[in-house]
Formats: sequence, C-alpha cells, structure tokens
Amino acid sequence: MDLGPERPICKRCVLPHSPPDIVLDAEGVCSICRQEEARQSRSDDPPLLETDFVRLLQKHRGKGTHDCLVMCSGGKDSTAALYYMKRRYRMNPLAFMFDHGFEQQDAIDNVRRAADALGVDLLFYRTDAVRGLFRKMVVSGSRAVLCHPCSIWYMSLTFEMAARFDIPLIIAGWTKGQSARPGVMTRCACNVDAPEYRSMGEATKAFLKTLRDDPQYRDFPSSMEEAVARARKRHHATVLSPHWFLDQAAEDYVEVIRREVGWRPVAESYPAGSTNCSLNFLSVWNSLRHFGYTHYHVEMAKMVRQGLMTREEALRALEVNFGDETLARVLERLEPPAK
Amino acid sequence: MTVAGLSAFYHDSAACVAGNGGLLVAAQEERLDRVKGSAAFPGRALDACLQAAGITIMDVDEIAFYEKPFLKFERMLADHLRAFPFSYASFRRTMPAWLGERLVLPLVLRRNLGWERPVRFVTHHLAHAASAFLVSPFEEAAVLTVDGVGEWTTTAWGIGRGTSIEIREEIRYPDSLGLLYTAVTTWLGFEANRGEGKVMALGGFGRPVLLDRLRQVAGLRPDGSFRLDQSFFRFERGGVMWSPRFEREFGPPRVPGSDLGERYLDMAASLQALLEEAMLALARHVHERTGLRRLCMAGGVALNCAANGRILEETPFQEVFVQPAAGDAGAALGAAAVIRHCVHGLPREVVMRDAFLGPEYPVSRMRRALAARGLPTTEVPPEEMQRRVADRIASGAVVGWFQGRMEFGPRALGHRSILADPRNPAMKDILNARVKHREPFRPYGASVLAEETGAWFERDTESPFMLFAVRVRPEQRSRVPSALHVDGTCRHQTVTPESDPLYHGLIRQFHGLTGVPMVINTSFNDNNEPIVCTPEDAVACFLKNDLDVLALGPFLVEKGPPETASP
Repeated sequence: MDLGPERPICKRCVLPHSPPDIVLDAEGVCSICRQEEARQSRSDDPPLLETDFVRLLQKHRGKGTHDCLVMCSGGKDSTAALYYMKRRYRMNPLAFMFDHGFEQQDAIDNVRRAADALGVDLLFYRTDAVRGLFRKMVVSGSRAVLCHPCSIWYMSLTFEMAARFDIPLIIAGWTKGQSARPGVMTRCACNVDAPEYRSMGEATKAFLKTLRDDPQYRDFPSSMEEAVARARKRHHATVLSPHWFLDQAAEDYVEVIRREVGWRPVAESYPAGSTNCSLNFLSVWNSLRHFGYTHYHVEMAKMVRQGLMTREEALRALEVNFGDETLARVLERLEPPAK
Repeated sequence: MTVAGLSAFYHDSAACVAGNGGLLVAAQEERLDRVKGSAAFPGRALDACLQAAGITIMDVDEIAFYEKPFLKFERMLADHLRAFPFSYASFRRTMPAWLGERLVLPLVLRRNLGWERPVRFVTHHLAHAASAFLVSPFEEAAVLTVDGVGEWTTTAWGIGRGTSIEIREEIRYPDSLGLLYTAVTTWLGFEANRGEGKVMALGGFGRPVLLDRLRQVAGLRPDGSFRLDQSFFRFERGGVMWSPRFEREFGPPRVPGSDLGERYLDMAASLQALLEEAMLALARHVHERTGLRRLCMAGGVALNCAANGRILEETPFQEVFVQPAAGDAGAALGAAAVIRHCVHGLPREVVMRDAFLGPEYPVSRMRRALAARGLPTTEVPPEEMQRRVADRIASGAVVGWFQGRMEFGPRALGHRSILADPRNPAMKDILNARVKHREPFRPYGASVLAEETGAWFERDTESPFMLFAVRVRPEQRSRVPSALHVDGTCRHQTVTPESDPLYHGLIRQFHGLTGVPMVINTSFNDNNEPIVCTPEDAVACFLKNDLDVLALGPFLVEKGPPETASP
C-alpha cells in the first residue's frame, strides 16, 4: 500500500513534518506544538465545567417529545454520550444513527443495544444518497478528506432531523481532541481554519466547488459553516458534547458502557479502538498518501498536548492497521468504476 | 438530602458537597484555578466536588452560603460612612463586586449554574462553629470561633449538642483579634490573609517586650474579651489597617522584603504572646461558662498552632478539635452542615478523622501526566514504594509525595506533601533553597507515627491535622533539628495506620532505617503557589523545583542528571 514518503514525527505530539502546514524545527518539535506552547504561556482558556453543561441542558430539559438528539455512530464516545444524557443527566434523548452504506454492522448493533438498554427511542436512517459523491471524489483523485464532505452531509441531516422532531439540542460524542471551544462549536467541532487543517481544508473546498456542475449534488453545502447556517434558518439547535465538560478519559467511560449497555469494539477500524465506517479506510489512506497524516492525528496530537493520551498510546492507535485488501473491499462497495 | 456549601468573594473560596450516607467532598478554588487564596466564585471547586461525588448539580437540593451578605454589606456601609471622605476610594473600588456578585448571589448562581432551587445563607461564625463541631467526634462540646470578621461578629462561643449549635456570646466588629493580628502582620511587611503564619513563626525569634503596650491597645480583659483602642487602627477605610498613632507608638512599618530588625522581631513576639494570652483567656472563660471538657475551634485564628498548642496544654479542656480547614474555606463545609443538620435535623454521619476530602485522580491520568513530560511510568508495589522512598529520604533526598484524595485546608497531610529527613540540620536550608523558596525563619512541620508520639513529644495527643505546636522532648531535640522551631516546638501531624496506611508504612520504614519515627512534611508547592492538585501540577512542580524523587500514586520517579530529567 503506497502511503507516500516516510516523514519525521514531532517529538512531543504525533504530527509529521508536512510543510507548509506542519513544520518540525531543529529540536524536532512541530510548529503546532510551538504555537500551542506560546498560547498556553499567555493564558489558559477557561475550562468548560460540567456545571456549565448542566446549565445548558436545563434550558432545554423537558421541551418537546425529546429534548435532545444524540448522534450515535456506535463508537465509544457517542455511546457514552447517549448513556450520559439518559442516565447521568436524566434527559429524554432521541438516538439518531445513519448508515450511508458503509457503516459496520457491529457499530449498528452497538447503537441498537445501547438504545434498548437505556430505553431510548432510536431513529435509524439508511440512505445511498451520498454514495455517488464519495465515488466522484475517489474517481477525481482529489486530495480532499472524504470525512469532511461526509461530516457536512451528516450535520445537515442531523439538523434536519432535529427540525423535524423539533429538538432544541444536538448531542455529539466529540472528544476534547476535537475542537471544544464555544466559538468552534457552531462550526460543529472541526476547526478547518486551524493551521494543521489548512491544506486538507483547501482540498476539500476545491472538491466541493466541482459539485456545482453536478446536477445531483449542486445544492450540497460548500462548507460546514454554510451547512449550519442553512440548517439554522429552519431550526435553531445547540450542538454540544458532554466529553468537553467532563474530567474523564476514554477508558473511564468505556468500562461503564461495556457494563451498562453492552458496548463492544468493532473488529476492524482505524484508528485502533475506534468504530469508524469502512469508507474511513479510504479516507485515511488518501490523507496519509497526500499529507502524511489524518484528522485523527490532529485530534490525538491535541489530546497528547492536553495530557489526555500519552504520545505512545496515540502512536500505537495511529499505526496503519489495514491493507490493500481492505481498501479493495471498500472500493468494491463504491461500485466498479471507482477502481 | 444533598447540600452544596460555598464560600467566596473574600479569600479562600471553596466548595463542599455533603449528602446522605456520609458523602462529604470539599475543595478550595485556589487548587483548581491556581491562584493562591483565590477569591473567585468556586465554580471549578464545585465542579470537582460534584464529579468526585459522582453526582451533578441536579442532584443538589440546596446551596448554602457561608455568610449573610446583606449583614456584611450593612457593616461595610456603616464603615464607609463613618470614615467618609477617606473611605471614598475604597467604596468605589469595592462597590462593583458587592453589586455584581456578593449581594446578588442567587443571580450569580443562576448565571453560573442555572440554579433555581433554594439558596440558604448561614451567619459566618455559625458556619465556622458548625465546620468544627458537626464533624467532630464529640456529641457535646463547647465551640469557640475567632477570625477577622464575619458579618459583624469577630469572636463567638457557644455549645454544640447533637445536631444543634447555640451561640451564647459574641464580640463584634471592630473589636477583632483577627483584624488586630492582620493589621500588625501588614505593619510587619507581610501580606494580609497570607502572612499571619509567618508572623507566628517569627514570634519565636523576638522578645515580647511590647506585650504590655499591645495589651492596652487590645483592651484585653481577664475573661478574654477585648475592646481594641480604635485610635490605633483604620479598619474602616479599606486601605492601610493601622493609624498614624500606631506608627507614633511603634514606629514606621517594615518595608516588605527588607531586613527583619530587632524591633520587628519583638513586635512579632509580642503580638503572638498577646494572641496566645487572649486565646487562653477566651478558652478558660468558655470552659468556666460551659463546664464542658471538650472544645471545638474554627475561624482563621484557630489556624494559629502555637496558640492551639497552649490551649491544649494550659486550659482545663481535655480534648480540643480544630477543623483542618479552620479558615474561610472550611466555612463552606460548615454552611452545608448547618443546613443539613441544624435546619433539616438530619443525623450527623461524618467524623472528620482525616482531611482527605478533595478529588483524587486515576492511575491512568498519573501515567499520562508522567509520560507527557517524558518521565518513566513504572509502577511500584506499595511496600516497595514505602521502602525505596524511606531509603531515599534517609539518604538526604527531597521527595514529592502525591497520593489519593487531596487535603481540604491549608495543610498538606501526606497526600500532597514534600517529605525530607528531619535529622539533617541543613535540611531546612536545603528545602528553602532548592524547593520552597520561603523565608528562613519559618519552621517545617513533621509527620510522626502516632504510636511514637509520646516518646518524642511532651504531649501524647492525637494531632492528625498539624494544628498544634507541641514541645519536642528535650532529649530528642538534637535528633530532629530540622523539624524544630526555635522555641523547641514542632508542628506535628500524628499518622495512624487506619487514617493513612501507605503514609504510615513509609514513616515506619523510615523509623526502621533511622530510629526516628518522623519525616519533615511540608506542602507540595513552591512558595506563593497553591498546593498541587492534579498529577499534572505535581509533575510540573517536580520538574520546576529541585526535588529528587516523585512518588505519584504507584509511580516512582527519581531525577537523574539534568539532561535526562528535563521534559
């Protein structure tokens, strides 16, 4: 499997030398770590406290048939989010899962089991509507990150579901490694303006521009901001993740959801220990090939800097754990011409 | 029923969560926001307490505040009016805080917590009294509270029985031992609310030649009551606390950081002697009026371990319980206790036998904190940890010791401590130069095996909170020079296997190696920084300061040569 040239990795985090976005200095420390170091020495951001989260929940508690819509992927973080919303915060959530044709059955089973165990309603949405978009992206040879347009699509879909059921609160399972600052929440977790996302973001934007000529996808939002802005014209919903507010590491809640809702890890996913869809393998391969890192590297690098993961844990999780066969299988599902 | 107690907006903000089944969690805001003596709304402390208790703010039924803000505001207004126009600057400076926070606590709680349920206000000295009596081992006891000033009260005593506390007598502002002590502390060039402990230590180096004159200033009476001659003070103006007359009588104030001349040492000694005299008289008076054998004490002045030691030795009280967080932080706990027990009549379920009421952190987080700074993460079994740490202390190493739940109150008591060998006469200087960077006259406390206390101290009394200065037996003094104050006393903490098996085992190992059953125990922090709270704080303090060893939960890290020790 061609993953591009070997790149030196930052001594502090897990990001590789990938100019112009990420540059390692003479000490082997990346420009992102250096920037973070300077920022922290000025003043730390005020922490997000669980009491802040509860205060936000209280605004919406008991409003409507369901007071929050929980985006479930079947992974540990979103399953824990669903668990917390029901048990810890005593909300009345509607669990929402989509399958764009590439979700793993184990993940779907995780969501069903959790919904059953917690006694929450589950909305399962199966569609082939974006398969053509993914195929187009692969065929075009774009450097864009497959997960970016997918995120834009599923956030649009989630807002649509929240509007349909008049739910004021959308709960995601995003970790502290994903953007967790109030200003960034509105952009739905991924800060595409961050330097480490610059080239990836530009590639995605360039690809999305090409959709304007495609009759099937010409209305596809050109960015997450546009998707959220459009959605908010119809329905205002706040997007939050409990993980941003809790002082707990993943292993603390994995144990709980294993015990309480029968959560199981899926057999094959990247990064190790995650529960991502099979299309993700293609996305990861493409990003590694072009940039030498993925958005998971960015997330985990941030968690390493925050002390939520050790560098060694992150490096282990980020080791490539799939091969050509897996990629071939996914491409097959995108239909033959994609090869 | 679960009650959250809060103290805030003056100094030592804190939060406490108290509930059924013995639930009691408490933490000071300074440990979390890393601002020494933080006066901020204790949002982080409350959050940490709730998460440590495994509940959310939704599970809290009532919030109790540690004072009645309108009464305090009344005093503040009266003060400013009396001192107008000199008080104008202070009035302008403090008014926004009053209008924005202190007088509108329910709004602050709504804004910060979305809180819509009852908020209860407990008078400050009742909160102090409850913080001591309601968690003491006593079913009935006299209670004495002494601090700067609450709403109007500066000193109070009463009787605690079961779940009730009756305040019998009080002394009101501006007559205040606490304010007197703080005023002279600032005259001596130390910071108000932070330098009082330094003055207490400094007292040992001077002669109490000014005691008679201070007695007159304080208007001290035989029953312990007092009426300060206000012409010596300027409490009401909000700036310098002493008047020109004080300067005429005792000379100009010391410039902070300048040499501590004889005049200042004598003033410190005289002030400390006055305080001890007043506290002894007060305690004797309370005993006389109550006839009770047990005494509970709280309030900032109750942190004066030299005075506490004398109360223990020289008054008829046979047992004295001083709350480890005797200052305003502890009043958060007291306010919650008043609401649970005195107001709602719930039975007392907690006896505070240790001060480990704060949050604790999982081993996984400790491992990450070490790994993030490039430090090794090899786990060591408890017995080996005790043996190796004891061995390193005996060889002269300075050890950062971070274990379990954080202490509540100003003292590190073996969970967030720096440990060292008391036998080494140079250890005090080593600690001051390498780690603590504090004034050379300040003594270090020690943790001693409870079962050995009688052989080493003149009074064989349990002292789990390091709040009594007790004389070391003369024949033992030469063996623990670095744990001794100049007057031959030591601020000691007695450690039992029940209260802290790991720490007890460590000292026992040290005893086995050296024949000395105590180690120097000082707080795990640099001078003027709050005590470490999280594993990350501990690792940062370990790397920043010249500590030799870090025992972080089950991990033992020994500093190598500088190039390998840096992150």
